[in-house]
Amino acid sequence: MIALAVNELVTQLGPSPGPGHTPLARMAGVAKTYGSGEQAVAALSNASLDIHPGEVTLIEGPSGSGKTTLISILGLLLTPTAGEVWIEGRNVVGLGERELPGLRARNFGFVFQGFNLFPALTALENVAIAIRMKNPRARNADAEARRLLERVGLGPRMRHLPADLSGGQKQRVAIARALGGDPPILIGDEPTAALDTRTALSVMELLRELASTQHRAVVVVTHDPRLERFADRVVRVEDGNIQAITTNPDSCRSPS
Amino acid sequence: MWNLARKLLFHDRLRFAVAIAGVSVSVMLVLVQVGLYYGFMDTASSVIDASRADIWVGKKTNESFEFATPFDDRAFYKVASVPGVAHAERVLMSFAQFKLADGGDLGIQVVGVDTAPGHRPLLAPWNVIAGDARRLAEPGAIVIDRTEYPKLKIDRIGHTTEISGVRAEVVAMTSGIRSFTTSPIVFTDLRTARSYLPQLGAEPVTYVLVEVAPGAAIADVKARIEALPHLAAYTTAEMSARTRSYWSTRTGVGAGFFTTAVLGVIVGFVVVGQILYSGTLQYLREYGTLKAMGARNIAVVQVILSQAMISAGLGFAVGAPLAMAMRAAMKGANLTVALTPPLYATTAVITVAMCAFAALLSIVKVLRLDPASVFKG
Repeated sequence: MIALAVNELVTQLGPSPGPGHTPLARMAGVAKTYGSGEQAVAALSNASLDIHPGEVTLIEGPSGSGKTTLISILGLLLTPTAGEVWIEGRNVVGLGERELPGLRARNFGFVFQGFNLFPALTALENVAIAIRMKNPRARNADAEARRLLERVGLGPRMRHLPADLSGGQKQRVAIARALGGDPPILIGDEPTAALDTRTALSVMELLRELASTQHRAVVVVTHDPRLERFADRVVRVEDGNIQAITTNPDSCRSPS
Repeated sequence: MWNLARKLLFHDRLRFAVAIAGVSVSVMLVLVQVGLYYGFMDTASSVIDASRADIWVGKKTNESFEFATPFDDRAFYKVASVPGVAHAERVLMSFAQFKLADGGDLGIQVVGVDTAPGHRPLLAPWNVIAGDARRLAEPGAIVIDRTEYPKLKIDRIGHTTEISGVRAEVVAMTSGIRSFTTSPIVFTDLRTARSYLPQLGAEPVTYVLVEVAPGAAIADVKARIEALPHLAAYTTAEMSARTRSYWSTRTGVGAGFFTTAVLGVIVGFVVVGQILYSGTLQYLREYGTLKAMGARNIAVVQVILSQAMISAGLGFAVGAPLAMAMRAAMKGANLTVALTPPLYATTAVITVAMCAFAALLSIVKVLRLDPASVFKG
């Protein structure tokens, strides 16, 4: 791996060291401060990061370092105090709740540690309802949900309720749901933390494969260094700062 | 959205059952209480509503059918001679004592009607199911409803007794003529009624019923009658409404029934609101996930409103038959629950509104839900 101090990196390569030419998303000089005055807490400072298609980016760092703030701002769930976030070729900082849901629906899928699946719905229904809610005019939501579940290897279990699925299968349903609407960027918040090692690696393999074969950008927050082999870049966050962005030329870019 | 709403509701069957029970009890309470109220009001004005009169004339001081001040017979002739009056009849109404077979007395409501031959009476006992109502013109003949027979200890048509010490004979039986007061209605001829009510004077009259001549305007005739001293004139509909209003507002009957109905709505509101809110809290992370992925607020609100509407629909579907069962049960106790199509329709609208308002707290919760919260543990 090649580790560079972030300032050096930005100087040498700009904020865009990824393999694609045009970033899907760009954060430039982003800062987030909670509270004000003496109570102010700087959660993130001067963070710059480009997200490219086909690239897996791991965000690592200790608890409270600002990882979640970083991906929340990247995913347009949190408004930064300063800086710019570029999506679809424009700076989206300052856009209101009228426009943000549409931007999120078109650009992002989210995967969480706790899966967040409706327990009353089958795997198929969980995926289909997300597709319909993203796009109420979607006519083939069931067919798309079926295709996505088959894509993540859950075709035979798509009629099962979450309670009847293993942790790894639930996470695959969550990934299929995140893929609904065909977003170019997948954001995972510790998606493997609740899984055993073998299952965690298989989930990560799936995300890697989605990046490599479908040219999606995958951004994953993790504490697990074993996942680094799936990453093209590892972003180290500490004390609200991006300490280093490490490229990984040995990334396993195809399914193992 | 309906599918998601339905599955989320049905997933926790116990909670769903409680929600439906809450709405059903609410629907039943509203239907039965308002139905009882209208049943009572129908009873209160039943004699008026059964008359064929165009105009009812009484003393200006009268507030209800039952509590009427008698006036002199000469006023009847004055009314009868008003231009536009085709036909007029006298009614005498007051309370008297009915001698029971066991020697006791019971208060009754005597309604004396004009049985003069040659004209179809403007007021007469209706729904006669046994005996001969034409005998009402005979001295001492009375007609009583079958529901009052046990109370008055009457075992057959032909039963004889005394009213205010004067002979009375039951000549016919009606069905469905009930008094709003606890005193049974006893129909008789005007002359017989006067003999039962000697305390009212020589030739008392309580009401004059008027049939307006063809071509004459009821409002014009009514105005002419009202020009007579001490008399007030009402169309039959006005007289009916006046009596209903008296019993409803002056006695607190209306407030009593409607307070219980409102309590029913409040019970339903609280139960449904609590169930929907706890369900929303249970799925908050899932709703947040959908919002994070771009679901608009309106889509999530639709899910919650759909749950409210399903609860309303099923609650009404259970509550309405329960109210019908209550009506059947109350019929045995001589209580009328007037369940009419407009009452069903109004209650359905109230149920939908109640459940929609009950969902407001849940809706506010998801509207305020920060999609970024899904990242917070």
